[in-house]
Amino acid sequence: MTRSSNTSEPWRVGVLFSRTGFMAVIEETQLRGTLTAIEEINAGGGVNGRPLEPVVYDPGSEASAFGRYAKKLMVEDGVSTIFGCYTSSSRKAVLPVVERLNGLLWYPTLYEGFEFSPNVIYTGATPNQNSVELCRILMERYGTRFYFIGADYIYPRESNRIMRELIRNSGGTVVGESYVRMGASREEFLPVMRDVKRAQPDVIFSTVVGDGTVYLYQAYADLGLDPKVMPIASLTTTEAEIRAMGYDVGEGHITAAPYFQGVGNERNSSFVRDYKKRYGDDEPTNMCLEASYFQVNAFAKTLEQTNSMDTEILRASVMGSEFEAPQGDVAINPIWGHADLWTRIGRANRQGQFDLVYESPSCVLSDPYLLGYGRSLGQKNLELA
Amino acid sequence: MQETIDIARFTRDRQGAGAKKEGGRDAPSGPPSSRSFWNLKVAVIVDRNDDGERLIRELQRLRCDVHHEWPMPSQIPAQYDVVFCVLSPDLPQRLPWIPGEPASALVVIDPGAGMLDLNLLHNCAAHGVLHYPVTSRSVQSTLALARGHFLYERRLRGRIEKLDESLRTMRSVERAKSLLMRLKNVSEEEAYNYLRRQAMERRVTIGAVATAIIDSYELLG
Repeated sequence: MTRSSNTSEPWRVGVLFSRTGFMAVIEETQLRGTLTAIEEINAGGGVNGRPLEPVVYDPGSEASAFGRYAKKLMVEDGVSTIFGCYTSSSRKAVLPVVERLNGLLWYPTLYEGFEFSPNVIYTGATPNQNSVELCRILMERYGTRFYFIGADYIYPRESNRIMRELIRNSGGTVVGESYVRMGASREEFLPVMRDVKRAQPDVIFSTVVGDGTVYLYQAYADLGLDPKVMPIASLTTTEAEIRAMGYDVGEGHITAAPYFQGVGNERNSSFVRDYKKRYGDDEPTNMCLEASYFQVNAFAKTLEQTNSMDTEILRASVMGSEFEAPQGDVAINPIWGHADLWTRIGRANRQGQFDLVYESPSCVLSDPYLLGYGRSLGQKNLELA
Repeated sequence: MQETIDIARFTRDRQGAGAKKEGGRDAPSGPPSSRSFWNLKVAVIVDRNDDGERLIRELQRLRCDVHHEWPMPSQIPAQYDVVFCVLSPDLPQRLPWIPGEPASALVVIDPGAGMLDLNLLHNCAAHGVLHYPVTSRSVQSTLALARGHFLYERRLRGRIEKLDESLRTMRSVERAKSLLMRLKNVSEEEAYNYLRRQAMERRVTIGAVATAIIDSYELLG
């Protein structure tokens, strides 16, 4: 795998995000984050004098298409590093391909945890970095009766399983649970919201993703419910979804995320400024976009050292390394290959931004199998101390 | 251009020499290990030249259920136990499965002309390679190893699935156990024994019992 250092041949990388279909709202921002980082790196002279060349496909929000395109990228395009995937079902479709052909998938999305692959770097949050703290704050501020609404696929089911455990262990209850199919229409959320109204929970915990998010929050607003009393809490509703549903609709609802546009540091200010310059003043940033952006930079910084796209070499080098991200300093956890990320809880305001309700003092160690969080929310987590 | 070959038409006489040299026994009974090839559904996607014929005959002699197809279909069939297929530059695209989730064991055939493309070989994620000219020995050993690797991979995948599932179940069992300890005021050992006994009596998994206990506890509030 030795390459002469004076070549100017580009480093080819694969990019798999949906620009069409019901996941396009959020995945489009992940595509932008990825391409923005690549353009910035190339504008700065590339990596060791060689530009990054993205090979981009649109899997159209269809999980199996992610698997097929991953195969195409690795087999036909000769790519070994792929940036992509939002849903867990799409990640699980890509997994066998990168594992068998020994590629490296960089996955910039929060997910339900309980997974480890030597062929994936996970840069989104897992439950110990969002659900645990979210659950504590919701119970403190709003009450102990939860209603779960989810899209019907892996992530919501698994996420709810973990959330249910946290709630029960802390003396709360789940008073109702509804799942709507992926890509559900607006009408399908009305009976769900009526059931919520009947069950009178203190908090609605939503794991609805994609276009459904907009329909859910709008159905909530149409029924005249009050987020001050019974907010929708989510791990996936970002600035992008709030903008799509309308600022007035989103106001008052709660999200846990490693990153919000409003994070106050110099690095983020310039990240947001550059992004708006590129895509327009009314285009917000969000956690998935931010993870997509910083993971490409983490990859480039690693590649600069290895000067090789060989999966074994890249992976060995990236494990344990630290990076400056717009959310703050982060690291790739050497045990898990998951990123150590910040925990933040925000409440959406009228401007479509999140006001911080909670922020961890530093990045929180990744613990995808929740080995350190079996019990209740009572004990304060050591890594936050 | 498909045909299924009647095994009965072929006898060991047509390939006798190779078999005797190797097994030292008559083919109908065969060495014990070759019995695992009996009725194995094998697709052979090769030109019927001398080597192609030899391969088909050897597989039939081994009592495989052979299906020959040529020219190469745009999509390799997925319903066979083993596929023997000539290595072509676009073979990965013709495979109906994604790498890592093969539907059958794949043996690619290297006709021996031109440069060997190792990258292509990698991309096919094959379980074995057969080189022309075909010998009885090479067909048997490749078939045995390819089938063995395929089954082994499948067992490993199954094991990982099972492990993932168990990891989740363990959390429910833990939770149910601590609930029982608190509610019934019993030791950890007794709580666990209770779960196990319930599972055995009801003929369900211990995870199912644990989930039921947690759920009903929640219902009772």
